[in-house]
Amino acid sequence: MTSEAPADDRHGIPAFVVRVPAGPYRSLNPVTKLVIALSEVILAFAIGSWSGPILVLAVVLGCAAIAGILRPLWVIAAVTLPVVVSILLVNTFLYPGAKDPIITVGPFAPTWTGLAFGVQVTIRLLAASLALAVAYLTTRTDDLLTELERRGLGRRSTFLIGAATETVPRTITRAGEIVDSQRARGLDTEGSWWKRARGVLPLAGPVVFGALTEVEERTMALESRAFSAPGRRTMIRHLPDSGVQRWFRRALIAVLGLIVIGRVLGALGWVP
Amino acid sequence: MDWLSRQFSTRVIVLIPIAIAINIVLGATVQQALKLPVYLDSIGTILVGVLAGPIAGLITGVLANLIWGYLLPAPIGTTTIGPFAITAGVIGLLAGIWGQLGLFRPRRQAAGRSIAGAIVAAVLVIGLAFYTYSRAYASATDFQNNTGFDPTVIDQSRVFFLLIMFAFVALISWALVLRRDVGAVYAIGAGLVTGIAAALVSAPIAAVVFGGVTGSGTDLVVAAFRAAGDSLIASTLKQGLLSDPLDKMITSFVVFLIVGNLSTRVVARFPNGDKLVQLDEPAPELPAASSPLPPH
Amino acid sequence: MSLTLTAVGYRYVGTSRPALAGIDLTLAPGEVVGVVGANEAGKSTLCLVAAGLAPATIGGRLDGAVTVDGLPTAQAHPYELAQRCGVLFQNPVTQLSGTAPTVWEEVAFGPRNLALPLTEVVGRVDDALAALAIAELAERDPARLSGGQAQLVALASVLALRPAYLILDEPTSQLDPQGTRLVGEALSRLVAGGGTGVLLTEHKTDLLWGLAGRVVVLDGGRAALSGAAHAVLADDRLAAWGVEPPGRVRLARTAEAAGVALPELAA
Repeated sequence: MTSEAPADDRHGIPAFVVRVPAGPYRSLNPVTKLVIALSEVILAFAIGSWSGPILVLAVVLGCAAIAGILRPLWVIAAVTLPVVVSILLVNTFLYPGAKDPIITVGPFAPTWTGLAFGVQVTIRLLAASLALAVAYLTTRTDDLLTELERRGLGRRSTFLIGAATETVPRTITRAGEIVDSQRARGLDTEGSWWKRARGVLPLAGPVVFGALTEVEERTMALESRAFSAPGRRTMIRHLPDSGVQRWFRRALIAVLGLIVIGRVLGALGWVP
Repeated sequence: MDWLSRQFSTRVIVLIPIAIAINIVLGATVQQALKLPVYLDSIGTILVGVLAGPIAGLITGVLANLIWGYLLPAPIGTTTIGPFAITAGVIGLLAGIWGQLGLFRPRRQAAGRSIAGAIVAAVLVIGLAFYTYSRAYASATDFQNNTGFDPTVIDQSRVFFLLIMFAFVALISWALVLRRDVGAVYAIGAGLVTGIAAALVSAPIAAVVFGGVTGSGTDLVVAAFRAAGDSLIASTLKQGLLSDPLDKMITSFVVFLIVGNLSTRVVARFPNGDKLVQLDEPAPELPAASSPLPPH
Repeated sequence: MSLTLTAVGYRYVGTSRPALAGIDLTLAPGEVVGVVGANEAGKSTLCLVAAGLAPATIGGRLDGAVTVDGLPTAQAHPYELAQRCGVLFQNPVTQLSGTAPTVWEEVAFGPRNLALPLTEVVGRVDDALAALAIAELAERDPARLSGGQAQLVALASVLALRPAYLILDEPTSQLDPQGTRLVGEALSRLVAGGGTGVLLTEHKTDLLWGLAGRVVVLDGGRAALSGAAHAVLADDRLAAWGVEPPGRVRLARTAEAAGVALPELAA
């Protein structure tokens, strides 16, 4: 299904740079996985009240099972738990205009309409969130950016996204260190609201100003490495793609386009 | 986004990822560590907008939420934040416009003219807020038709309007005492307007994607409005109009302080630099900014 | 063919006080010129101006002329300058692109930006890693290197653009002793290889004693003294300019004060 780049095509690039992703689902071209994920998100919102979200969720879980990532996927699903609980509670108990109570206990009257709506929103939310999570868990950001750049994304956009995903975890680590050191110096993170509010400044100050001084150094370092040279960059990595995947992507986008156009026409009242 | 990022100097390209990190770090870590009821998750977005213009602000906001939502591992990354990328983009866009209008410029040696300007600006902001609140806190149907004149409805809008105005005036007074800088009035006013816009954009997103809730403490407020019989979208809007302006006023003031504390040398190199440096200083020579595309 | 500064003065954006004034300096290929001076004497500014980053990237006002092999830096594009004049700063972390998963790709960042053919990129990366004897780091994650290793990778990344001149702004000042030794050894090897003109600012004058042919002392943005390295570094006024003389010079002076002549130490 995948066509491997010939070995003599490597021009002496070391194997650890070539890094062809292996394994079921993972070895698909990153763009294919991205198109699948975005299609699933759109479908979850575009098709029917029940059928779309349930269908998408089933497909997402199927892909996850093939890729063998069900376990990390549960972790991500668990993070959405507070929202899910909130959605179910608020809608079940407080759905405006619903008049089919499941049970009435004093002022509380949960309704079937509200519960149904809450479950529907939950399934749709999970389908959309997990669709993107599957793409994230099976694709390295670096691989996706390589493919997008090969397809015409400029070096500036590529760097912007790459640097952002790289900078965030590093800054979080540093902020954690600052919080710890401020705590060691007696920062009050437990006291009254006003005390905690005053605690924000010694915390935010070093993070923000430390980061901003980096801007100058990084700008000069990039310029002295010819970042703003004209033209397209040399591509050193080549991720496998195949004719099957190309046609699959085109077909998916075409079907999606038809569904969205149908929905828009339907919303405008031009189609019964 | 290519045609957008191509027009940025390398400095702005470097600033945006760092600003995204500031957003997420202050948004996530500060909330966890200090447990405060404000989000402070758009300091980076507003900072980029103010320094580098509306398009850069928009990209920062959108990317920050998408990365936060989908590209970070689970404990930090929460997929629920992703759909609000649209709101974040609007916040960055507005911050860019405020920056280009010079609203974040320090005005330490306040002449009569800038004091008068600040008063006019404050009155405009208060007027806008009054209009929005009196419409939004009318009952669900009245928000669309705005015809009813139910005295209980008017009361609700007055209460929330006065609450926000109290915060606005208190923050301005505190800022004026703390900084002795009329510029803070413009910055905090800009924050209030940004907050109202953010609430208007967020409400339909929360309603469509999350059934009106977001899984945070503010859901209790949403639930209260729902209990009072408001529709999905009206109750999220009412909640947003309570918390967003508050958060954005504080955020804007923080950004105002940051910009004021950066050295002229650093600020002047950004695209909006000439609008952020206090006017009584000698006008900075414009940098031969490393333009992304060479002239051939 | 040389890097030439003629009557150079420089002011940062938004400041009226010149950071540099009346600087004349020539750097020929294969030559090592050291720059010393107290904090705020203008060492870093001199590096930015010599590399052309000031004014091309950071703006400001340049008086006089800076030319790299005949190309005036005031009119050149940063990417043109990058191929003639490489710069290494103090902090290794901010000099790495932060987007490359391996050291090999980090070093390839510059040649790729120039859109060189693939074989040329590979050749340049391998050469740069070999020149600093860090080929064994190629597979590593740049974010997980020691300070000294990261600084060498940053240097290799600059060398991969094959500049005729290197500007090194206190390349060891943020490194631990081990990292300082690592980078010092690599610099010695690079200089011994010849061909590259090096402008090196350093407060560790011991390093300069062994590497530099000439030394310039900066004081308040002006060249206070300039000449053969050993003569300048043994000058009595060095301490008054806020520069600590090399250990061997101090030792020779102490010995002299004690009545023991050790002239071979300070020559």
